[in-house]
Amino acid sequence: MLAALALALLPLLIKSDFALTILVFSFLLGMLAVSFNLIFGYTGQLSMFHAAAFGISAYATHLSMSLLGTSFWIGLVLAALLVLFLSVIVGTICFRFRLKEFYFAVVTLAFSEMARLIILNWNSVTNGTLGIILQEKPRIWLPGQGIVKLDGTLMWYYVSLIGLALTLLVCWRLVNSWMGRSFAAIRLNDELGDTLGINVFRYKLAAFSVGNMIAAIAGGLYSFFLGSIEPGFLSIDQSLAIVAMVLLGGRGAVAAPFIGALVLTTLPHVIHLGAELRTIVYGSILIFTILVMPQGIYGSIAALTRRPPHAI
Amino acid sequence: MLFEISGLTKRFDGLTAVSDVSFSIAQGDIVGIFGPNGSGKTTLLSLIAGMLTPSTGRIVWKGKEIQGHKPHDIAAAGVVKTFQNPQLFSELTVFEHLMIAGHLMLKRRLGWRRIATLFNTDTGQAGGDLEARAREVLRLCRLEGSRDQTAGVLSYGEEKMLGVAMALMCEPQLLLLDEPASGLGQSEIDSLEIVLRDLRAHGMTLCIIDHKVGFLGKLADRAISLHHGAKIAEGTPAEVLSNEHVIAAYLGR
Amino acid sequence: MGQLILGQLLNGAILGTLYGIIALGVTLTFGITGIVNFALGAFMMLGCYMAWYFTDGLGMHYAVAVLCAVLVTSFAGLIADQTLFRFTRNNLVNGLLVSIGLISVMEGAALLIWTSTPKNMEYVLPGVFSFFGLVVPKMKAVVFLVLLGVILATYAALTRTWIGRAAYAYAQNPEAAELMGVRTKILQSGVVVYSTGLAGLGGALYASLYSIDPTLGAVYILKAVEAAILAGIGSVIGSLFGGILLGITEGVGSIYLPIAFRDAYGLIFLIAILLFKPAGLFAGRK
Repeated sequence: MLAALALALLPLLIKSDFALTILVFSFLLGMLAVSFNLIFGYTGQLSMFHAAAFGISAYATHLSMSLLGTSFWIGLVLAALLVLFLSVIVGTICFRFRLKEFYFAVVTLAFSEMARLIILNWNSVTNGTLGIILQEKPRIWLPGQGIVKLDGTLMWYYVSLIGLALTLLVCWRLVNSWMGRSFAAIRLNDELGDTLGINVFRYKLAAFSVGNMIAAIAGGLYSFFLGSIEPGFLSIDQSLAIVAMVLLGGRGAVAAPFIGALVLTTLPHVIHLGAELRTIVYGSILIFTILVMPQGIYGSIAALTRRPPHAI
Repeated sequence: MLFEISGLTKRFDGLTAVSDVSFSIAQGDIVGIFGPNGSGKTTLLSLIAGMLTPSTGRIVWKGKEIQGHKPHDIAAAGVVKTFQNPQLFSELTVFEHLMIAGHLMLKRRLGWRRIATLFNTDTGQAGGDLEARAREVLRLCRLEGSRDQTAGVLSYGEEKMLGVAMALMCEPQLLLLDEPASGLGQSEIDSLEIVLRDLRAHGMTLCIIDHKVGFLGKLADRAISLHHGAKIAEGTPAEVLSNEHVIAAYLGR
Repeated sequence: MGQLILGQLLNGAILGTLYGIIALGVTLTFGITGIVNFALGAFMMLGCYMAWYFTDGLGMHYAVAVLCAVLVTSFAGLIADQTLFRFTRNNLVNGLLVSIGLISVMEGAALLIWTSTPKNMEYVLPGVFSFFGLVVPKMKAVVFLVLLGVILATYAALTRTWIGRAAYAYAQNPEAAELMGVRTKILQSGVVVYSTGLAGLGGALYASLYSIDPTLGAVYILKAVEAAILAGIGSVIGSLFGGILLGITEGVGSIYLPIAFRDAYGLIFLIAILLFKPAGLFAGRK
């Protein structure tokens, strides 16, 4: 709560447009990481479809605006519904056939690679490798000002902050509900959960679909803030970047992946490195986190501050 | 009849684990299924609970055929199974286990209204019922003392009892117990017996398998003996235990 | 048209042995250590650059250069095993992610040292074989035969020697094998290193045929994983056939369908196999 208030007031202190821009990106990627953790950290399914949900929605939002003439927000809703539809198809195929662990990762990866290949090669609609420049800006209603263009970093700052806050709220509600208990049952011992009457298929699909829909909303917002879309949104590297954010931040708390998103988004701008060195540092962070700090930043700090359980 | 199986057979590539088994269970009975190791007892329970699909045969629960249904559907219909080697959610506490196992309770109480509880903070009466039931089950299974311990630190006896406790959270009408007494010390077996008698007093129907004759002999109303996957005797425990085929099977002749 | 198809069949088969040699590493590593080493693609890339450096840079004979490249790659594999993979045995998700982190490190290092400009090796063995109007570059035929030979030799070693039987016993039942005296740790490290050596060999031979760049491993590891799953993970000889099947499908497929979609065939194969025959095409024939 305190952190939320601090983030809401931060722009009063930080006037740098550059710093605010980095924060907007962190919030939007934070939405992506937090929603991915619903599938990966809480339900235990290593999905490689998350970047695809993000990228497909970015394209779909734009296409809905340019082809159907909808507003940005209607387009975003349609894109999220499209992603829901795709998630149900992909999820049904994977979970009906009980694909687990590596096989689930590989098949979801195959589906997202196919989505990427289609986008890459459907030149007439997606403009292929070059991607699309987005010049339009979404419009929002502000009290006292009426409907205005969503322009300028400060406005984006609040829109993306609200997006992140809503994501956290939804995920927090879910994991602390009866449904979250079913997610935990699936992660820890799905066979036992099944004999206790939990419909494993249904709740895997629920986590997968909700997670992907949040990723879809993040994708639409991200592309319009960035001002462009390209097929790289759906790449394997993007999927892995999400996994890295979650691992670095931690899997054990709803907000923890946001820490990872913040660090990995900020780092390249704070420490200036060439692209090559950046790749090396990025890979090293991933390895270091897994081998030395498997609980992530959040988990490690929590372990330090928590009193040992049996201390007098 | 509450529960009836007929001609149940399960073959795994060439091996017939359960062979043409038929029997029925009446409301409120405790039925014991004996048999040496490898006689097909665990396979039989797995078939009933839906973890395996029978090759042929029928399983009828309250007049409906349930063979080949999914485990969660069978559990929802009121037939719940425990595991011989306790299956747990390793990093959670005992109480959290029971809350997860309360899934069916909430489902029965709320139906699709469960979705609505995701949006407002209160699960209302049903949430309160769930916690009350969990406390009741803890007391019944003598696990109150380990309520907030994680599953990892429990003793083997407590682990097995937690398995029974989770099954009880599902409000079963027929409880299938896979060797509940194996690996337990005598005092643990005694308290298990008290718990099971308690359950029967509450009107629950039990089907227990075990290869130890003594424990089941005292508890069961009726007994069935399996050997090489086939039923070789049925009757009161005393009758079955004095049956010459059963004695021969146990002595390995 | 017939010749075009036949040519693509041959090309596909040759490319397929390249997929196959990496797939063999994927299968062996998975069977013995329980992880999928995605970094094998990066080790292949390392093999490429080593072969290029030893021949064009140091002027070695190509055959010697290939041998040295395999040694260097295996040594790199040993270091990776002892510093990283040793800690992720039988932990699928961690192993996967560590190997992916390693890809970033190796690719980044390769970009720093050799830049992203593709390198082309001098022709090792110019000239072509031609028969029945088909033209096959001599070097391609050599690469095909060497890879085929190595895969078959590995298969023979696994089925006929003591080490192979120990490895099989371990893959089937680790605890029993350990009780019977299989030295688990050495076996696991050995397999990880051997797999990186195979990838290095694939790379060193690849370098004589195509131009090389630091990111080429990504494509090959994906194809190799597809081939390994196609065959059924754990099947040694299957990884060869899986690779060739994939290579041929891509080759012949690009005659009829837009070339842009050649990478999709493997994906469609993969999904279909995992759904309908999850043990793979060669299941049971170990």
